[in-house]
Amino acid sequence: MPQSIVVTGIGMVTPVGSGRREVWENLLAGESGIRPVESFDTSRYNVHLGAEIRDFRAAEHFEKLDPDSVGRASQLAIAAARQAVTDAGLTAETVAAERIGVAMGTTSGEPQEVEHFDDHLVAGELDRVGAEFISLYPCHVIAHHIASELGFAGLNIMIPAACAAGNYAIGYAFDALRAGRADVMLAGGADSFSRITYTGFACVGAIAPERCQPFDRNRKGMIPGEGAAVLVVERYEDAVARGARIYAEVAGYGLSCDAHHMTAAHPEGDGAARAMLEALRHGHVEPREISYISAHGTGTPTNDSLETKAVRRVFGERASSIPISSVKSMIGHTMGAASAIEGVVCTLAVAEDRVPPTINFEEPDPECDLDCVPNQSRELPVEVAMSNAYAFGGNNASVIFRKCAA
Amino acid sequence: MNEAQRRVVVTGVGAISPLGDSPAAIHEALCEGRSGIRPIELFKTDGLPTREAGEIAWKPRDYLGNANLRPVDRTGQLVIVAAQLALEASGWTAELRGEHEVGLVLGTMFGSVHTISAFDLRALKAGPRYAKPLDFANTVINAATGQTAIWHDLRGINSTITGGATAGLQALAYAVEMIRNGRAEVLLAGGGEELCFESFCGFSRTGMLCAPQDGTSECPVPFDARRNGFRLGEGSALLVLEEAESARRRGATILAEIRGHGSAYDCSRGSDPQPATAAVERAIRQALDDAGTAADAVDAVSTAANGSVRGDRHEALGIGAVFGERSGRLPVTAVKSMLGEALGASGAFQTVAMLESMRSGVLPGIRGLEALEDGIPLALAAPQNREAELRCGLVNALGHDGNACALVVERRGEEEV
Repeated sequence: MPQSIVVTGIGMVTPVGSGRREVWENLLAGESGIRPVESFDTSRYNVHLGAEIRDFRAAEHFEKLDPDSVGRASQLAIAAARQAVTDAGLTAETVAAERIGVAMGTTSGEPQEVEHFDDHLVAGELDRVGAEFISLYPCHVIAHHIASELGFAGLNIMIPAACAAGNYAIGYAFDALRAGRADVMLAGGADSFSRITYTGFACVGAIAPERCQPFDRNRKGMIPGEGAAVLVVERYEDAVARGARIYAEVAGYGLSCDAHHMTAAHPEGDGAARAMLEALRHGHVEPREISYISAHGTGTPTNDSLETKAVRRVFGERASSIPISSVKSMIGHTMGAASAIEGVVCTLAVAEDRVPPTINFEEPDPECDLDCVPNQSRELPVEVAMSNAYAFGGNNASVIFRKCAA
Repeated sequence: MNEAQRRVVVTGVGAISPLGDSPAAIHEALCEGRSGIRPIELFKTDGLPTREAGEIAWKPRDYLGNANLRPVDRTGQLVIVAAQLALEASGWTAELRGEHEVGLVLGTMFGSVHTISAFDLRALKAGPRYAKPLDFANTVINAATGQTAIWHDLRGINSTITGGATAGLQALAYAVEMIRNGRAEVLLAGGGEELCFESFCGFSRTGMLCAPQDGTSECPVPFDARRNGFRLGEGSALLVLEEAESARRRGATILAEIRGHGSAYDCSRGSDPQPATAAVERAIRQALDDAGTAADAVDAVSTAANGSVRGDRHEALGIGAVFGERSGRLPVTAVKSMLGEALGASGAFQTVAMLESMRSGVLPGIRGLEALEDGIPLALAAPQNREAELRCGLVNALGHDGNACALVVERRGEEEV
């Protein structure tokens, strides 16, 4: 009988606050972290909104490394990781350092470091071009920095599956625990705001000019954001043995690849449906058991209607009655952190029987005829929740969380 | 190791490297002591302290014909070609791929930082409205993996792994687990990394790259007392991994079995010998344990050694800690002495080279090695090739900044699976 894998700790830093309690209450309250971009000049762009984290003081979260020796995504990731470890009640005495691993996801790693590289190049400061680049930039350093800061000497891996990366990392952690390759895994995702990412989404016309309105008939696009979230996961028996608080069980996960187009999803939502079905199969969950879905829900015209198609294919007629909301309406698209944050959302939905809203919802779209929990959070029994994420490169992933029968 | 668990075999290999575009060509070059390191032509090296690397001189069109290459950057092209070669070698035709889901797991350190930088520079100079959407698609680190899946209709599991210079072995390990867990029957797995100005410049600033000294032109020289760093390389190598039973049923040629893998992290990120050596030791022990293989059964080690002053030593001592006094009788090679340090592609190149050594019974010498550093227990590390019956090989990967990984491969005939 394969062992259950459970969530015992949560940490996150987002555009609507820091720490499990603050972020969750703000999401349930429908708070928005979307504002005019401050970290660089957007006057030459035709869009100006972003979901940046304001007032982040990295030094508060560091005990070992020098915060200036790591990039911003790493800083956010360390903050989230430290919160999660504290939340889980993990200390040096609890588990051997060699048995604790770190699996993170990201879309861009530390793109601000490429910006610095280019800024020096353009300014002709050739002797400063590339300085510290290798220790700051390649995205695996995010997972390395977490482990070095916290002293974890087990598995260490980064899965840059773009906007589905957090789910891939959670899946990896799940498998590592089942196979006995670790006793505790930190799993999550991180991405920092960057002009490169912003420019990219702007140049393909994906950024909404005023609001993020997932599933709304007049939705115009996504809003780039930044953040980090980390879940502490371990085997159920180990969690019980050390008296850990268990939030939820990770029931299973599914991956798929569209192999269709680099940035556009399969027109029938094929890959998205396959990932959901694979998660249901792996988790031994029937579609009718799903009480809540955290949507990928970026707010682009295409994603939301394709996602609706995929959900219909998997859940059939019942699709219209499953609450499915998108926190991206509030915190924007936090890239590699998104599905990690959404994993936290599903974990807490299952633990507390509350689900966050999709805000900015005004007019239903016949192509998105789902219950998107418009504007107001809701209390309802959530036995099983599903978190969906779809990425450039055709990477799709779904993770299922279930109430832990403890 | 769980005896009931599904077993993973290698049924084909594709590689494109500075030493050639087939496992046999690479092996021949290694055994002839030919270096793939040469003056860089891909970009200007003015103002940089070193000017040589393992650059691949190639024309993508030689492999990809008249297909539209514009949407795919150099990293993507390298991986697409390696995948093509691997699929041809393993018999996974386009028709078969239409009927079955073949997946791809790719290790890389940078993806294509060159594309990311070029995208940014264009926006900086011409304004954000002139940024190129086609380039944006390639700025995500999983771009090459996605492009290759589209190109070759690979609709199975698709994952990109970065873990530092260990990414290639980590990708192989990830793929092994996916097959063991029943999520996949067949996966292309390995690594891909391109040489580019951005990463080369970055490494140049670290002081980790070598330069010839004392009038010699030899460098890199793994394990040598006078070593002073490594050279960068590039390329892509992909192995076709399959569940053993289904490989047998389709009549595939079975080259080897991947028996086990292990991974550990050095919290000092390469700076403190004790945890660094311990991480190497743990990774190897885990791999042997996972393989159900005793240390005594290992016939040869493909080391990650690349000429690093610290890394080579940490690895050698880690090997010593596992093999004890047998370390002095253990055949070892260091192919990065000729291929250079191909970062995310390295672990895959090393595995490919190990399979060729197993097939041919020849382990390439370590080019340029003259005198082992004091205290390095690998007495059989030598510039000459070694002939030996190689059935069980250990492949190591080591990042300069923390990760240590190991893979155990065994030669298997079809009848033995």
